[in-house]
Amino acid sequence: MAATETQFMLSVGLIEKDVNGDTLWVWCYPSVGSDLRQVLLRKCCLTQDGRDFHTFVFGQFCRTWYYITTVEVQEPTALNKEFVQSDENGSFLIKDYDVRKAYLAGSVKDVVSQFGMETIILYTALMLKKRIVVHHPRIEALLEFTRVLPTLTWHRKDWSILHPYVHLMDIELEDLKKCPGYVAGFVDPEVSNRSDLFDVYVNLPDSVITVSQSAKEAMAMGKLHKEVGHLIVQSAEDADRSDSQVIKDISIKTKEILTNLVALANECEDSKITLEVLKQHHFPPATENFLFHLAAAEQLLRI
Amino acid sequence: MEEVDKILIHALKQVGTVVSEETDSVKLFSSELIVEAVVRCIRVIDPGLGSALPTSLPPGMSARFRVGMSLAQACQDIGYKGEIGYQTFLYSNEPEIRSLLMFLVEKLPRERAEVSDQPTGKSVVLQRAIAAVIKAQLAVPWLPSNCRLPLLDETQCPGALHSFHVQSLSLPHCSKGPGKKQLKEVMDYQRYILPPVTAQFSRHTSVLASILEQHIAELSAAQEWDNEWNSQGLLSRLTPQDYHCRKLTRMHKRIKEQLHSATLTSPESPLSGLCSTSDLSELLQAFRCSDPSDHVLTKGTHFTHTQKFTFTQVAAMTSSIPTGHQSENDIQLCQQEELTLLQQQFHQLCSDVNQLAADIKHLSVPYTQVLDELKQNELGNSEKEEKIQVKKKTIDLLPDANSNLLKLQALVEASAKRIVNLASQWEKHRAPLIDELRRLKEICSNQDLESSRKLSEIKTLHDRIRVSTEEAKKKEEIYKQLVTDLENLPQDLSRSAYTQRILEIVSNIKKQKEEIKKILSDTKELQKEINNLTGKLDRTFAVTDELVFKDAKKDESVRKSYKYLAALHENCNQLIQTIEDTGTILREIRDLEEQIETENGNKTVANLERIMDDYKAIRQENSALAAKVRDC
Repeated sequence: MAATETQFMLSVGLIEKDVNGDTLWVWCYPSVGSDLRQVLLRKCCLTQDGRDFHTFVFGQFCRTWYYITTVEVQEPTALNKEFVQSDENGSFLIKDYDVRKAYLAGSVKDVVSQFGMETIILYTALMLKKRIVVHHPRIEALLEFTRVLPTLTWHRKDWSILHPYVHLMDIELEDLKKCPGYVAGFVDPEVSNRSDLFDVYVNLPDSVITVSQSAKEAMAMGKLHKEVGHLIVQSAEDADRSDSQVIKDISIKTKEILTNLVALANECEDSKITLEVLKQHHFPPATENFLFHLAAAEQLLRI
Repeated sequence: MEEVDKILIHALKQVGTVVSEETDSVKLFSSELIVEAVVRCIRVIDPGLGSALPTSLPPGMSARFRVGMSLAQACQDIGYKGEIGYQTFLYSNEPEIRSLLMFLVEKLPRERAEVSDQPTGKSVVLQRAIAAVIKAQLAVPWLPSNCRLPLLDETQCPGALHSFHVQSLSLPHCSKGPGKKQLKEVMDYQRYILPPVTAQFSRHTSVLASILEQHIAELSAAQEWDNEWNSQGLLSRLTPQDYHCRKLTRMHKRIKEQLHSATLTSPESPLSGLCSTSDLSELLQAFRCSDPSDHVLTKGTHFTHTQKFTFTQVAAMTSSIPTGHQSENDIQLCQQEELTLLQQQFHQLCSDVNQLAADIKHLSVPYTQVLDELKQNELGNSEKEEKIQVKKKTIDLLPDANSNLLKLQALVEASAKRIVNLASQWEKHRAPLIDELRRLKEICSNQDLESSRKLSEIKTLHDRIRVSTEEAKKKEEIYKQLVTDLENLPQDLSRSAYTQRILEIVSNIKKQKEEIKKILSDTKELQKEINNLTGKLDRTFAVTDELVFKDAKKDESVRKSYKYLAALHENCNQLIQTIEDTGTILREIRDLEEQIETENGNKTVANLERIMDDYKAIRQENSALAAKVRDC
């Protein structure tokens, strides 16, 4: 995706929590689909008995990004007018927001400092387009953490795999399952029992990463991974380097691995690799396995 | 006092004292009677003490004296705290005797301690009677047949023992329920011809045994049915008859299946030929030897069925078994062949499975790649389609670009305006609808509150009803039991008279207490007044005294009046003193009169005369004895 491509704002809506506890859609412009309306009702924290009050929440549903800000209002009628006015006066220019800056808003260093060497598991999972599920009871921490993860595979610049705020409802899970690989954030602790939803499970408050049984074979790690892991940790621990520099370091290493793979592919006919070709190079088994799966992820495998 | 005496006399009669009918009060007790009563009581209270004491007074005076002393000692040993000596028995007076007898009667052990308040009713009474009879029979010691009284023969001779022999009863069953009507002949038979249960037996002795057995069998069957019905039957939500039918069909099916499987197991062995000639016992053996668990009863999976079929085929192929006996070696050879064949098949299957698994694994990775590609392609396609749509529309509109552009802009503005318009209209509609929603929700929640409140009220009412019914039941039972107890009580004492009297006495005491209280408070008042007045008097006199004395020094008449004042005061004091003394003396007179009365009650004069007579008798005895001693 080119950096200059802008994404358009599709619609704007207003949800209100009534005096007797009902959460209702008041108003939307121009229109919001009924599915999306239901989903947004669930996402906005007004439905949850007013315990937690999250000022800003975002997420993805059916390839549409939604942003919810919640405001506490004393006078019910004033809000409507205010909102309408801001629309007319302040032009909400999307071009003002550089896409790249938005992508870089999270901090890789925090992730590495929390998980240390285990960050390599996340890196591997993202490279192999596996399904990662992150759990944290607080939505803000969840959003902050998950938005960083796609930066580990900077060469793809694919944020459509990011679903930072998902509930365990059928309609959302259906939408999630359409993507082969994703990073999904859940507030519900029940998700740890849904082993059909993830290959890697990250328990954020306890800082524990678990790989599910079915994916253990594909995620086997060896010398190559150790190397990359060391690089990530060293780079992040260096106080002089900023977040963007760390991401750059990681992406350089990734590019190295990928150019090697492409070189291997080019040796074969129609530049596609097969397992036999890999076996000929006598890599250590973990590396061979990793390269095989990576080739599949990067569309370099011969069918 | 008469009631107390009556109770005492009754208790003494129970102990065994012979009291004639005319003596109905303790006043009329003679010394002999007193001694007999006391000794019998002591014998009951403490047999050790009482056995040494005679029940009647001996004639000699010294002996009587000694007996009196020992009786007094015994009473003190038992715990009588009052003053007691030989004179209490020999020269008795009414109050002492009464208190002593009351103490002894209270000390008598209560025989009725075991009658506790167990629940109720005639059946319990019957059971208790039976228990008492059996207890009595068991308490009688066994004697050899020569020593036995004919009364004991019934219970103790071996002829009374019978073996537990049971015969089947034939009982008429009353059929409940409208469905089944008994035949008239059956009913006639049951009514006129069928002998009663006690007459149905050849041996009279097996009546009891058979009835017991029949009853227990029916009882256990009923209990089993109850248990089953309560646990499984109610869960199945069928009527009892349906449940029975279902159970019956199920049992039939099970039996059929078991027989089938038992007959099927035999052909699997190479001794299939024997199956046809196996007799019933072997079949049942196989039937029993198969897994005792539900293994036999499970239907088995499709796989095991097919397995069975293949095995039977294999068995058919490999077994060229003629009917009849086989030698040991041949059997073993056949088994070995079969075993190797099966193993080969198994290995083949294993390798097939492994191969397939490996293939699946290998193909999964390219599969994911293909899926990924597919998804991306689809996304790309849809995006491109959208773009094509837009471009197509633009191209269509391109020829007349400017006007179409203006038209589009106008269209867009118009729709925007319409949306805003509709939104504002909707706002207007929305407000009353929201109010309506709020109102209805409030009504709903109020109704919820109401209904929950009413539910809790109903619950408390139910609880109260339950508690009240239980209490009523309990009270009914207690009432029944008390009625039976009342009937069982001995009728010689009229309890109602006593209870009346007791209640009267209690109310009298209450009244007296009230009166005493009143008098006390009056007295207090009076005393207070007296104190007040005395105080006032003293103060007034002191003041007057001073005043007058001051003037008395100067004036003669004042001095005279002062003298008169002093005299007046003196005389009044004396008057008061005299009054007080009179009151005290009156009190003393009253006390002395009471004492005289009580002393008159003790038959002191008569006793004195007797003492004098006895004293003379003792002196005579002493002199007689002394003379005897001198003579020897």
